[in-house]
Amino acid sequence: MMHSDFRTLLYRAEIAYFDSSDLDQFRAVVDSARLRVQTYKHLRDHEVEIFQPIADQLVTAFPTEDSELLESALKHWLSVLRYCAMAMLINDPDFLKYRLLEWLVDVVQAYDLEAIETHLSENLYSSLQQQLTESQWELLCPFLQQAEATLIHQTQTANVTR
Amino acid sequence: MISVEALRNEPLPGNYFAPDVYLQGDYELGLLENRSGDRLIAVPEILLEAIREGLEEEVGPSSGLVMFQCGRWWAKNFYRRFGEDVSNYYGKPLADMAMVELIQCIKHCWKTHGWGVIDLDMSYNQQGFLVVTIRNSPFSATEVQDNLSMNFTEAGILSAFFSQLTGRDLHCAQTSCESMGAEVNHFVLGIAERLQSTEALVKGGLDHDTIMERLCIADQ
Repeated sequence: MMHSDFRTLLYRAEIAYFDSSDLDQFRAVVDSARLRVQTYKHLRDHEVEIFQPIADQLVTAFPTEDSELLESALKHWLSVLRYCAMAMLINDPDFLKYRLLEWLVDVVQAYDLEAIETHLSENLYSSLQQQLTESQWELLCPFLQQAEATLIHQTQTANVTR
Repeated sequence: MISVEALRNEPLPGNYFAPDVYLQGDYELGLLENRSGDRLIAVPEILLEAIREGLEEEVGPSSGLVMFQCGRWWAKNFYRRFGEDVSNYYGKPLADMAMVELIQCIKHCWKTHGWGVIDLDMSYNQQGFLVVTIRNSPFSATEVQDNLSMNFTEAGILSAFFSQLTGRDLHCAQTSCESMGAEVNHFVLGIAERLQSTEALVKGGLDHDTIMERLCIADQ
């Protein structure tokens, strides 16, 4: 398992020993691992607590919507958070992009649930911001934003083009 | 009331064909494999080109047919493996998958194998045609004659693959070619009798959209 920070450093190691600044960078990567594991465990262990209130809010906000569609949207974002957690753990945005987002974006567009998915992602965002510590949130936030940019904003642009 | 506890126990898969996990192998043994253990090899473009040219030299005008049949034979087997692998990963038979998910699998399968970017155009479905576009195709086209440049191998592959997928006997004809300056390769899939005029239309220098108009009118 290799994430981008290690990869970059290892390419440099082909030429020479790490200099002091490379070693400091390596140490910083290793040091952040503890917090990443802690954050990952929190997300894993609290999956239902994070999503059940969001599911309940969704049913309230869209009372006439087919529950299967609401479930589809929820499953999309259950996936998103799982893959964001993994990408955060190894600090690799490409993991999130290639393993999930590139595949999921067309699926989300085809289901055409923009209002539901937007509502869901906004609630997820604010829920996690409250539940996680500031340093945990700082680690996870860029990956959530990456997911939002792909699944929500790209979908909005695609719909406008249509 | 939606139960998240129930939802989270359903499979929530991602992209089966994500390159970092799909492409595997045992470097020590010189083996490149996909995640199901099927062997893959990296074939240089120039070797594909050499095979095509060698075939043309040996069998002349029949080379197109030979390459078409090669494409068909290979794709029939490939489709079977594709079907098994995708069904196993996504936990349901292909027939039960949502169309958009299945199309995503096909697109990402093509991309990860380095066969270019494939897209499906459903706008002629009502008239009984499926249009496939491929950008950055790895297969080189045969310069037949008179404006006609065809990628026979690829046409054969698409014919067999989509025949299996749809359960219908679909022929495939190419209506635009990257090697002739088009932006993408266009392929049209349909029943063989309805595609008979395609070659003549391409030779006549017509573009893909015009050819599709003529094919749709011809049936009325």
